[in-house]
Parts: sequence; C-alpha cells; structure tokens
Amino acid sequence: VRDVFVAGVGVHSFGKFLDKNLKELGRVAAKTALDDAGLSVKDVQAAYFGNAYGGLITGQESVRGQTVFLYAGISGIPVLNLENACASGSSAFREAWLGIAAGEYDVALALGAEKLYCNDTPRTMAAIATSSDTEVVSDTGWSFPVNYALNIRLYMEMYGATQADFARVVVKNTRNGALNPHAQFHKAMTLEEVLGAREVCYPLTLYMCSAIGDGAAAAVLCSREVAGKYARKPFVQVAGSALVSAAFMNEPVKPSIKLGAGYRASQQAYAQAGIGPEDLDVIEVHDAFSPAELQAYEEIGLCGEGEGIRLINDGITDISGRIPVNTSGGLASKGHPVGATGLAQIAEMVWQLRGEAGPRQVPGRNPNRGPVLALTHNGGGTIEGDAAAMCVHILKRI
Amino acid sequence: MRIPFKKGIMHLAESKADEDYLIGSRCRDCSAAAFPPRVVCHKCAGENVEEIPLSRRGELASFTVSWAAPEGFKPPVIMGFIDLPEGVRLLSLITGCEPDKDALPGGREMDLVFEGIRSDQEGNQVVAFMFRPAAAGGIS
Repeated sequence: VRDVFVAGVGVHSFGKFLDKNLKELGRVAAKTALDDAGLSVKDVQAAYFGNAYGGLITGQESVRGQTVFLYAGISGIPVLNLENACASGSSAFREAWLGIAAGEYDVALALGAEKLYCNDTPRTMAAIATSSDTEVVSDTGWSFPVNYALNIRLYMEMYGATQADFARVVVKNTRNGALNPHAQFHKAMTLEEVLGAREVCYPLTLYMCSAIGDGAAAAVLCSREVAGKYARKPFVQVAGSALVSAAFMNEPVKPSIKLGAGYRASQQAYAQAGIGPEDLDVIEVHDAFSPAELQAYEEIGLCGEGEGIRLINDGITDISGRIPVNTSGGLASKGHPVGATGLAQIAEMVWQLRGEAGPRQVPGRNPNRGPVLALTHNGGGTIEGDAAAMCVHILKRI
Repeated sequence: MRIPFKKGIMHLAESKADEDYLIGSRCRDCSAAAFPPRVVCHKCAGENVEEIPLSRRGELASFTVSWAAPEGFKPPVIMGFIDLPEGVRLLSLITGCEPDKDALPGGREMDLVFEGIRSDQEGNQVVAFMFRPAAAGGIS
C-alpha cells in the first residue's frame, strides 16, 4: 500500500447551534481542513461522510453525504456515506486512507458531522439508542448508561476501582477542555462537583456521561506526491489504521479487555505501524462515559488489566504526565456530536504532532524532539457486550 | 390472556403442568448457548443449532438503578446482568427489590418472572421477562 499523509484538518466547534443545520456544520469543517491543507474543493477526488443519526433527527435518511458535500461545493466525485455509530468519523477517515493507499486517489476528504440538539431531547435519545441491536434491547429497560454501569460495576468489583477514580477522569479531561476553544464546555470541574452531581445510574454521575452536541470535523488525506507539493510541514503520516467489529458475546466470565474490540483493533494498528504503546507521545480515547477511559488505557496496552486506576490517580495521563490522554478535553468537555467525534480526535492529534496545540501542547516523550507518535481510539455502539465498531489510528510526524 | 412483549424469546405456560421460561439456543457442535436464540452459532458459525428452554434460576452478576429512563419507562429502572447455568449472561429488569444501588449483592440467586407491563387494545396483558430475588429455601 502507498504511504498516506494528513494534509490538513479542521473542525466546526462543538456546542449547541440551533440555528445551524448539518450542511453548514459540515461545510465549515471541510472548508477549514482544505484551507489548512492549502487545497480547494476542486482538488478533492473522493469524499467520505461520517454521520450517525441525521436520518432519525432530520429525516434525511439517505444520501446525507451528497447533500452536505454539494452544499460545500464538492460534487460529481465519488461520495460514500459511513454509519458506524460513534465511530462513524474515524471510519470515514479510514476509508479515505484506503482509497489513497490503494492508489485510486491522491486527495480524499473525510468529514464527520452531527446535529443532535433539535429541541426534542427524547427524539435525540431514541436515535442514540439505535446504536445497539434494537431487536434485542428495545423495551427491555436497556440504555447506554445502564449498559456501561453494569460493566463498570464488574470492573469495580474485580479491581477495587471507586467512583472517585472515575471522577478524576472528568477532572483531568475538563481541565484540558477548559483550554480548548473548540470544546462545548470550558469549565474545569472539581472532584466534589463530579461526585456531588445527580446520579444517573450508579456509578455514573451526570458529569461522567458525555453530553450531546452539534459539531463537525474533517481531514484531508493525500498521497506522498501531493503532500510534497502542498501539505503543511511537518508532515503527518497515517502509520496504522484498524477497524474491527463486535466479536465477544455476553457470557458469565470475568471481563477481560482482551475479549474486546479495543484490544483487537489496537493490536492490529500497532503491528501495522511497527510500534508499541510505549512509543506513543499523545493519545485520544473514547470517553463517552468517563470510567471507560480507564478501560481504554488497558485496551490499548498503556498498562495491565486493572492498572488504569493507577494511571489516572498518579497523573500519568495529564498533559504534563508521561503519556497524556485526551488533551482535547475528551467527550467530557467537547460533548459528543457522534459522527464528528472520531475526526475531532484526529484533528487534535495532528495539531499536537505539528506543535500547534497552544496551551494544550504536550512536550512529547523526548522534549528535544517533540511528539512524534499519536493514537486515536474511537468505539461505536454496542452489541452483546462489545463495541459494535472500533477504529484505532496511529499518526506519525515525519 | 397473557401475550409476550416480544415474539420468539418467551414461552408462556399454557397449563398448570407447564411453566414460563425464556427460549435460548444451543449449538449441537460446540455447545455454546445464546439468548435470544440464534440460527447460526456465535462461537463456531455452525448451523447445527437448536432452541432450548433456559433455566429459570440464575445468579446476579451486576446490578444498577437508573434514574434516567428509556422511552416507555419511568425511573427508577432497576437492571442487572443475570448469569444462567447454560453459560448465558443476559441483561434483565429486576423486580422485587428496593431501587437502591446496594439492594442486592453480586452472586444473589434470582428467579425468572413474567410480569405485566401494559394492556393492549383487546385487553390482553402484555408480559415481559424480569428476575427477582429468589426466596430462601427454593424456587418460589
């Protein structure tokens, strides 16, 4: 396969934008990414659109990508619509990578966008609940918070994790998010505020559950030839890309991260990139519910099973720590415009690798060299105890 | 009369000699069991799969109380993972206990019940499956 580079990234800030539609959110992110790459809409040879709930929220069930891209001035070229729940954006990125790696295109655009605020919260919540096997779970009392809470209680029982350990994830992420102009929320939460918040579903308090959001994020991917002519320096290469689906089925066994999609996807991505978790400088993981961040540390091999608790408590994953995680503020600060989430993770990692993350900038494992390797972990939906879709990418500064 | 809230997963007792149970499946080749029942084995992908009645008694593996309810429910919604001896972990509504996160300990024996959740237009009682704490000393 050919080497693929990220020529540019862009986001439409995450938040509540009742006066903006999906097209406008998407247009802004696409335009910003193309400007960042020094390319125009006319240079795009293929475009991939990640979105999860546009059909259920707006009624535009079909050809959503074509409607958004046309509005943004991109037409006539191959367009693919990607729906992989919360992993839709990173799935779009992966398809763009495949198209260039295969030699079919030299410039491809991956756009993730989502519009969840519609003055009808039950409608939004019902849409989100479809990221499961609806035939199995509908009418049973199931919800995403319940699903997470039941799994997290097993983790608490096995490893002695406490509600305060999970609250510290929110404290860290909102401290980072307060420094991110694109985040939905800019307040750094205290431990007391997180623990004292309304209980949604023990051990989850309100601030451990990511908020809904509107937003968009995009990346322009290109071949080495195009990167050499246009892309901003330093170049960022896609060193690993993996997508897996649910394989584990609920069984009465001790939960092991090695059964899960996050472990399998990250192992594939590491093998492809020829690196291990010890080589990473900065990471974004999927913290739709904050306790899941600790499990993500374990899935991607930052530590052994049950040791994620120690990483958060020792400040290892702070911006100033040995291996910073969710420098963007994670979904705790950004909120979760589902289809945009994966590409916003990639945008944050590109900014970090280029040294453009401002007050959130990490020094890298070797401060003389700066950060070189970044990983994104983006899970989507749930089926039978596993992530329905899990996408892991490794980016490398050249 | 009673009717199930979903087709194909609940057997409703038709006589006093009969009893309510959940319908699962088991692979005749690798013996992996599943709920809801499957036609293709989730372990070995074989098609030699049969429907089986699942045990009416299981063990509580995890437990929580949700103060946010999905469509059609009112909080609090009490839910748990139930481990069945066939090797199935299922997610179920829990009844017969207080809406307190510490109401039931892990490992607690639980019994299957089909309880009415609403009436349909013909006056039938629509029943769903739930688990409740087993009475001490045997199946209640």
